[in-house]
Amino acid sequence: MTTRKSSLPVLRLMFGLIRVAPGWYVANIFLWTSIWVIPVVPALITRRFFDDLGTAGFNPATLIALLVGYGLARLGVMFTAMWNDVNFMFRVSSTLRRNMLERIFDLPGAQSVKEASGEVISRFRDDVEHVEEATSMTVDLAGTALFGLVAASVLTAIDGQLTLLVFAPLLFMVVVAERAGTRIRRYRNAAREATERITGALGEMYGAVQSIKVAGVEKPMIEHFKRLNHERRKMMVRDKVLTAALESIFWNTLSIGTGLILIFAAGDIGREGGLTVGEFALFVFFLDYITDAGWFIGAFIARFKQAGVSFERMFGLMHTDDPMLLTEKRELHLHGDLPVAVTPAHDARLDKLEVRGLNFRYPGTPNGIENIDLTLERGSFTVVTGKIGSGKTTLLRTILGLVDSDGGAVLWNGEEITDRDDFFVPPRSAYTPQVPKLFSMSLRENLLLGRDESDEEIDGAIRSAALDRDVAHMPEGLDTLVGPLGMRLSGGQIQRTAAARMFVRDPELLVFDDLSSALDVDTEKTLWERLFIEHAESTALVVSHRRPALQRADQIIVLDAGRVVATGKLEDLLETSPEFRDLWETEAEGNGNGNASGRPRSRSRNGLVV
Amino acid sequence: MIPVRSYLRLLADYLRRQKLRVASLTITLFTAIGLTLVGPQLVRSFLDRAIEGSPVDELIPLAVWFMVIAVLQQVFNVTATYLAEQVGWTATNEMRADLAAHVLNLDMGFHKEHTPGEMIERIDGDVTAQADFFSAFAIRVLGNSILMVGVMVLLWRENMWVGLGITLFFMVALGAMLRIQAWAVPLWKKVRARSAELMGLIGEQLGGTEDIRGNGGVGYMMRRFTEILRAWLPDQVMGRMGFSALWGTSIANYIVGTVLVFWLGSFFFNEGTLTLGSVYLIFSYTEMSRRPMEQIREQMERFQKAAAGISRVQGLFDRTSVLDTSGTEVIPEGALRVELDDVVFGYDDDVVLDRVSLDLAPDRILGVLGRSGSGKTTMARLLTRLYDPIEGSVRLGGVEIRGAEIHSLRRRVGMVTQDVQLFRATIRDNLTFFDETIPDSRLHEVLDELGLTEWLATMPEGLDTRLEAGGAGLSAGQAQLLAFTRIFLENPGLVILDEASSRLDPATEKLIERAVDRLLADRTGIIIAHRLATVTRADDILILEDGRVIEYGERVTLAADPESRLSHLLVTGMEEVLA
Repeated sequence: MTTRKSSLPVLRLMFGLIRVAPGWYVANIFLWTSIWVIPVVPALITRRFFDDLGTAGFNPATLIALLVGYGLARLGVMFTAMWNDVNFMFRVSSTLRRNMLERIFDLPGAQSVKEASGEVISRFRDDVEHVEEATSMTVDLAGTALFGLVAASVLTAIDGQLTLLVFAPLLFMVVVAERAGTRIRRYRNAAREATERITGALGEMYGAVQSIKVAGVEKPMIEHFKRLNHERRKMMVRDKVLTAALESIFWNTLSIGTGLILIFAAGDIGREGGLTVGEFALFVFFLDYITDAGWFIGAFIARFKQAGVSFERMFGLMHTDDPMLLTEKRELHLHGDLPVAVTPAHDARLDKLEVRGLNFRYPGTPNGIENIDLTLERGSFTVVTGKIGSGKTTLLRTILGLVDSDGGAVLWNGEEITDRDDFFVPPRSAYTPQVPKLFSMSLRENLLLGRDESDEEIDGAIRSAALDRDVAHMPEGLDTLVGPLGMRLSGGQIQRTAAARMFVRDPELLVFDDLSSALDVDTEKTLWERLFIEHAESTALVVSHRRPALQRADQIIVLDAGRVVATGKLEDLLETSPEFRDLWETEAEGNGNGNASGRPRSRSRNGLVV
Repeated sequence: MIPVRSYLRLLADYLRRQKLRVASLTITLFTAIGLTLVGPQLVRSFLDRAIEGSPVDELIPLAVWFMVIAVLQQVFNVTATYLAEQVGWTATNEMRADLAAHVLNLDMGFHKEHTPGEMIERIDGDVTAQADFFSAFAIRVLGNSILMVGVMVLLWRENMWVGLGITLFFMVALGAMLRIQAWAVPLWKKVRARSAELMGLIGEQLGGTEDIRGNGGVGYMMRRFTEILRAWLPDQVMGRMGFSALWGTSIANYIVGTVLVFWLGSFFFNEGTLTLGSVYLIFSYTEMSRRPMEQIREQMERFQKAAAGISRVQGLFDRTSVLDTSGTEVIPEGALRVELDDVVFGYDDDVVLDRVSLDLAPDRILGVLGRSGSGKTTMARLLTRLYDPIEGSVRLGGVEIRGAEIHSLRRRVGMVTQDVQLFRATIRDNLTFFDETIPDSRLHEVLDELGLTEWLATMPEGLDTRLEAGGAGLSAGQAQLLAFTRIFLENPGLVILDEASSRLDPATEKLIERAVDRLLADRTGIIIAHRLATVTRADDILILEDGRVIEYGERVTLAADPESRLSHLLVTGMEEVLA
């Protein structure tokens, strides 16, 4: 993506951003135009000073008073302009961030973000900043144009030919900036990508800090980090030097411009009818400001191009064809009351869930599921089992619309669900993935995620999830902070917290992916028992290979290589399905509970019997 | 005030290593500054001679020289930029790597309190601000300050009173800037903290989209997002006002400076001590130092960021691990004896392990059982010295591990946890932790031993296959197979399997069994499990409850004793199966 031409309508996007805060933007135009134009005043004062200096009895008091007045006016305008600008920019950046985040939540959950978290953060932070800056810079365009006009008319009145000499370098500069812009963009991009790799590596490194410590591999990890740093240094130096070289071209135009004025005026400067010293000072003064304006335009072009890249990178997160989603205007709620989140009423009764001919394949791999049919009756307990990589998790994800299926249908009470991803939310269903994630908030907030259940209801859910004993041991109870990603809890506690998070929603359909994998015998037993007693009405769809789950199942679905190879109750499957028998028996070997009768087992390994 | 001292102390170390570059930077910078000062002198001569009526062919060379010197000056400026960037990035790269290593070596207690997103802010954000600032500091701040000193010296030469007036003016102006800056830095600190807070939240949310969506938590998460924005806005406005105040100072400086020139210039001109050309010289020198002041002022924003950053960087460097890692003792080769003596440990005030003792002979396998939260995982963490016990001691191979060299200790202990952490990198890098010294042949050897060669063949590019974020594309079981390979690459004397097989499919578990057999051969093993079967290979059994050892002995003996907890657990298992 480094050099690809931007396909996004950058101007339209920027206009969209301006519409986010039009009042602030219009005020910005007026304020910043004033900031650009009013330096004409001290320029004229300076000219007067040098022209009048030679006259007898000259007293600079009036000019000094004017200058002080100008200074006060400029300060006033500047403070107002800055205050206005920060308000405008904040609305722009917040809108971009909000829209990206909302869109990501809107995407099928399992596909939403493919990039490493550090890289995504870089888009949320740096790219947003680039775009907000470029958008804010557009207001200066009017200012530079107006300033150019005023300067041109003042100078032409003095000497048209010399004025041309002042403006010609300006044009030259803009052209150079424009041409160098493409190169800057490429270097800048490369530098940015190098930075992204660094933030990505840092994010992963500290995300995996325990693994790294335990493996004692701090050194190679840091060596790897150093290599990435080295790469970035090369990119950054190249970028900065090019920028400095460009800047020096502008400086040279200023000096060469001054030199040219001196050469052209050499014959008559300071003489009767020739250029006065005051006029010379005026020319140099404007040359300076015009160089500033030219430099600004160059910088703006570069920023604008950078904004194109940044737009593209942000857009890349959103997986959509409509770029305007990025700049969509909606209330940001920066002031006033926060809108109250509405918990939808419980009117989503499930009688029957059917899956018909469902297909999904991970792009570029042979992994996926093929032509799956199954039916879940109200209150039933269905267990999906199979070997590793047989497609169990994929099946759940496809049913719930967490990945986009390649065909097939899911029917809720006989009606096909068109947008499963949006449909399968509480109170219809709740889902806990294989590795559940918690957030750095209190236990209560993690369970509720904005709902307003009372502590009694939460206690009920915690009991159902067999988490009650753990919570009772926590000094802060429900107010315990679980730490980043729930790291202060054990693996089993995280799983049961995730289960409680489902139960508190009391959904019609409970979907667990391997919920009990980190639980011990007693805890797992308690969990299933309470699930059956306290949530008997709920329909459950569960991935598991554990015996207690399989024994309670009304229906077991056996997957192999993405296909259903057998369906039925435990006893039937043990008789009819060799694949299932394999799984069941391996589970027995791997699980002491399998030694059901306490008789010495013929299959026990190493001749050892527990 | 600017934390110049801590800043210099920190950077001095890193700069000392590039003396040559720093020296050439200094020379280049001074040359550029010298050339800058010559320009206005030429213009003054030009104006005075023009007014005197010198012939045009005497004036033209002055104008040409003016242009030549201007071009040369820019050449030196670009060269100085190149050198400054090289120095700055080299220095901060080293600082970044040191800081990353330092943080990596901090104890787990630290990492539990700080998100990876926050570390990105500190190690990349704050340190990079130093790089930006350093290169800018050399060129813009240091260079421009010297330029201003040059201007002052030259003005003193023109006229003592003008020199004095402008010097006083520079001092007052600079003083004002520094004062205002001192007021503005804390404002920026707040802005950075808000940004870090929001990025932390977003990072965490993006990792849990499935959980959030699946449980209808999107609205709540967006609300938290909005709450942070609302708190951020006033801070952002104040931060910008701090910056505006600095700009305001520079506007005021311009006004005061020009007024000074008008006043002093007209006075001494009227007195006859200054020519028109000299007044113009004074004017253009004052003007000329306006830009350096502006540039210094522009750098103030970076200065603020850098200053806020450097104190946080210093803070991180000052933070020491609660683990004393100065030990040098070497853990012996071969299977390790594992001893715990009256070990007490707790995370905060919570006691997690209460007087736990055990003595595991080399080459034996210990099965550890207990409810989740009973302290099993914590025990493993103490053995890898992720934490130190509050009381009691842990010895491996007879060596008290507090006194052992920590990296070699951890390399002698291989641990597989239930949560395998993968990198967005190739399978090779995931196995070697980016260690380039491990040859592919060694990886293939180990994968072969694990029976994973066939599985690797299904990967589109073998060892070069890139894994997506969080190991997407691999099942949890497959990820665990990779984790096994990781520890196979070492030659540990103690292997800890913390629920290693808990997420494995029964069929895949068979595959693992063979590998575990090999791994445990001639090694001491601790298998932490939630299920009894996982410990069938154990020689000894230890059962934990609420951090206490409630049973410890030979497995066969315990299983034979109907009163034992182990037997009780077997019964619980039976009940469950029969239910």
